[in-house]
Amino acid sequence: MNTSKEGRGTKSAGATAKMAKPLLLLSLAVATIGLAPLPIRVAPPSVRHVHLQARSYEYSPALVLVNRGDRVTIELESTDVVHGIFVDGYQLEVKAVPGQPAGLTFIADRPGTFRLRCSVTCGPLHPFMVGRLRVAPDGTFWRAIAMAILALLAGLYLGARTLSRHSSPRPTDTP
Amino acid sequence: MNRVNLLQNRALRALLIPRWPQLGVQLAALAGLGILIAVGLVGSPVGNRNLAIVVVWIAWWALLMLMLVPFFGRLWCSVCPIPLPGEWLQRGAVLGPTASSRGSSGEARAQPRRRGLRWPSRLRNLWLQNATFVGLALTSLAILTQPRTTAWVLIVLVGSAIVVSLVFERRSFCRFLCPVGGVIGLYSQGAPLEVRVVDRDLCTRHIEKTCYTGSDQGYGCPWQVFPATLRTNVSCGTCFECLRTCPYDNVAVNLRPFGEDLFLPGPRRLDETFKALVLLGSVVTYAAVMLGPWGELKAAAAAVGTTAWLVYAGTFLVVTLAIAPGLYWIATSVGRAFSRVRATSAQVLSAFTPALVPLGITAWGAFSVSFLLANLSYLWPALSDPFASGWNLLGAAGVGWSPYASGVAPALQLAILLVGLTWAGAHVRRIADELGGGLRLALPVLAFTLVPTLGLMWLLVG
Amino acid sequence: MAPRRLSREPLARAAVGLALGLPLGLFLIWGAGQLGGAQLLRARTAEAGGWSPDALTARVGETLHLRLTSEDVLHGFAIGQSDQPAIEVPPGEIVDVELTFNRPGRYVFYCTRWCGPNHWRMRGTIEVEGEGATETPPLPAYVALGIDIDAPHPAAVAPSRRPSAERGAAVGVEIPARLLSRESNLGLSPVELWQALRAEPGTRDLADSQVWDLAAWAMRATVTDEMVAEGQTLFAENCAACHGRDGAGEAAAARPTPPATTASHAHSKEPVDFTDPQAMLGASPALLQGKILRGGMGTGMPYWGPIFTEDQMWALVSYLWNFQFEGWL
Repeated sequence: MNTSKEGRGTKSAGATAKMAKPLLLLSLAVATIGLAPLPIRVAPPSVRHVHLQARSYEYSPALVLVNRGDRVTIELESTDVVHGIFVDGYQLEVKAVPGQPAGLTFIADRPGTFRLRCSVTCGPLHPFMVGRLRVAPDGTFWRAIAMAILALLAGLYLGARTLSRHSSPRPTDTP
Repeated sequence: MNRVNLLQNRALRALLIPRWPQLGVQLAALAGLGILIAVGLVGSPVGNRNLAIVVVWIAWWALLMLMLVPFFGRLWCSVCPIPLPGEWLQRGAVLGPTASSRGSSGEARAQPRRRGLRWPSRLRNLWLQNATFVGLALTSLAILTQPRTTAWVLIVLVGSAIVVSLVFERRSFCRFLCPVGGVIGLYSQGAPLEVRVVDRDLCTRHIEKTCYTGSDQGYGCPWQVFPATLRTNVSCGTCFECLRTCPYDNVAVNLRPFGEDLFLPGPRRLDETFKALVLLGSVVTYAAVMLGPWGELKAAAAAVGTTAWLVYAGTFLVVTLAIAPGLYWIATSVGRAFSRVRATSAQVLSAFTPALVPLGITAWGAFSVSFLLANLSYLWPALSDPFASGWNLLGAAGVGWSPYASGVAPALQLAILLVGLTWAGAHVRRIADELGGGLRLALPVLAFTLVPTLGLMWLLVG
Repeated sequence: MAPRRLSREPLARAAVGLALGLPLGLFLIWGAGQLGGAQLLRARTAEAGGWSPDALTARVGETLHLRLTSEDVLHGFAIGQSDQPAIEVPPGEIVDVELTFNRPGRYVFYCTRWCGPNHWRMRGTIEVEGEGATETPPLPAYVALGIDIDAPHPAAVAPSRRPSAERGAAVGVEIPARLLSRESNLGLSPVELWQALRAEPGTRDLADSQVWDLAAWAMRATVTDEMVAEGQTLFAENCAACHGRDGAGEAAAARPTPPATTASHAHSKEPVDFTDPQAMLGASPALLQGKILRGGMGTGMPYWGPIFTEDQMWALVSYLWNFQFEGWL
């Protein structure tokens, strides 16, 4: 029993050493996919006015599209009760009372996809009232897909190389 | 060393084997449960200001999914307050088995005063837990936004645990009925913690089998397993009772590599496979309802009893009970046909269960991160003024809502999902190889694992 | 060994008692706190029952201590016709308010935050008893003038272009003092004012549209800048949700609401379009004030009488002409 444990131990220690290189490669690849600038041309910054309607429990439009560098004004109009928006990542907030739209102006200098969250308790489902702000060039979802495929490839490699060694029947498994 | 017996550590030994430390945590949890039920019933009806909602559905659930289950397996079950009143009534004692042996001094009598019925063998599986989980899940949007409903759910859980404890033996409720127990059990296979015997031969030779029958040191396994035959964490509640009843100190609490249970050879039970698929379907549906942009879907999911809710409930059932298992069945069937492995369809179906476990843990983890960070700030005012009566116990009653780490939360969620996908992919490949199907068998199953992951990626960070 | 362990069971049971006693104790402390002191006033949307309780009593000169809490969404609390600023009532929080009344009478408290389609039905009363004279509300102008505020009031003539108070001031024709008095103009609709001006000998050489400019100026001259500004603020806070910021009456809150929530309060008519000359130029300030005061009209217009002061209603009316005339603000 002890010997078998030690045997497995050495094996996995050796495997860990062998894994160092592929793991390094993997993290490099993930970093590249995650951080490489997108070769997408974005229109020059402009002034953008977005009218955002809020009602329990959604925003319309649910997705606000702007370009990096745009001077964005979101005019929030609540149509039933008091709502607000909090922009994830930008940490901006505004509230609007029905009949009195409120504005939020900022420079969209961070590309990516950010959640808009209602910031005023507007009913029981208030915590789930979300929208999105997408600042182009945004490859978040595409990068995620690329990383997912990479993850599966890494899994395939791991499964074939390292993990199969684990599956040698364990002595304690025999009844 | 693949496994480290934590009981070799003196301090941990003193913590795990005597009854008092565990009872202490259990009692604290029970007091907490009592407070939460009271607050849920009479506190503010506003969900995000009510301690019951905030603690149970934000703090506890996230703690369970992000910390306890992935790193400690069933550890929550060892301190969970819900079955305690029932268990004490069943045993006629709070502390030790000796309380029931009054009069017969010294004689080992560890059986509960009333020996409950044995849980019917047809139901000795996860199917009922699948049903209770789905039942709870259908109404979950109402439960997790309405404090009174949450309080009543807790009361019903404690109440049914009492009833089941009085009718059936040991912890039948936890093992076969608890809607959360099934989830924890399945996913605890990925955790680096286990309770196992050290030397099985010793158990075979031990005639009394006090770990199952009990002794004056402790009760026979409440979870109705014989530790020596324990293969996975699924049905071990880490109650540590066998540590106390084994006269040979032959039970270990092991620290092990993550996911060791997933490597066990041989087919799995289909109820486990189904549980894993129901959980995957549920987390994607939850994310779509709670984090998606569709307001009417949210309203329908919360309006329990209305026609809109019936439509939602129907959709939920179709997704969790038909689409998720259906896609999985298609994937495994395609792989099986493609690779011409000899295993039967059912064998292939169940064989890939281990791959669904890391996929599910990480999916729930990523989903939990999204609402934990966005809503954790509700905890401080709720703790300061639990009854919404103007108290300010922690001086945080006026703390406003603000999402935490909103800039890095998406990256964190993505990373968790990717870890799960890699982990699941590795097991898919390994299992496909073991079945003799190779890549041809692995690829369709890999494609299946992408479906919930990409869905969640779009809903969480896309 | 056994007796020693035996003695531990009672200890364990005591610990269980302690664990169960803690929540019970907290609960009792909470319950004791509920008994004395302040009057709890719960706010819920009108659909869910509104204020609870909705009828309070107080005595002149004695402090009425209210603990406000909202059980669903953001509400506000204010007393009608008083100077006290509105108080925010955020969900789940406790807001303490102390009120003292100098005169007996019936006061109306109401929600000041848009909290649902029937927000304006969220009201309650405070019956104040004690020494002192009750204030008798003045007779509404429309009653004094004998105006039927439900009778149709079409504009007999309409201007060919939007009249401008600024241009009117520049016309340089002197307007008789009787047409510049606020009291006498209250009962005059812009059309009647225009007809009166048209009949003046001094306007003989002017075009109809110039006389309209004069009429606009005459109306503007009877109100102050402060009134119009106050009216603008009041309109934004209280009226725009239904009437629209542009006065066209197509704002979100006036749109047909889901029947499930408003079946009992469904209203068939849309709010009036303040930018429509036909709807407005035949209406006198007194008529408009009467409509604000009484509400109704089958449109879901609230009964503002107990909420706005007389001055606030006139300020609102003075602002409404902004939707008809240029150079008003």
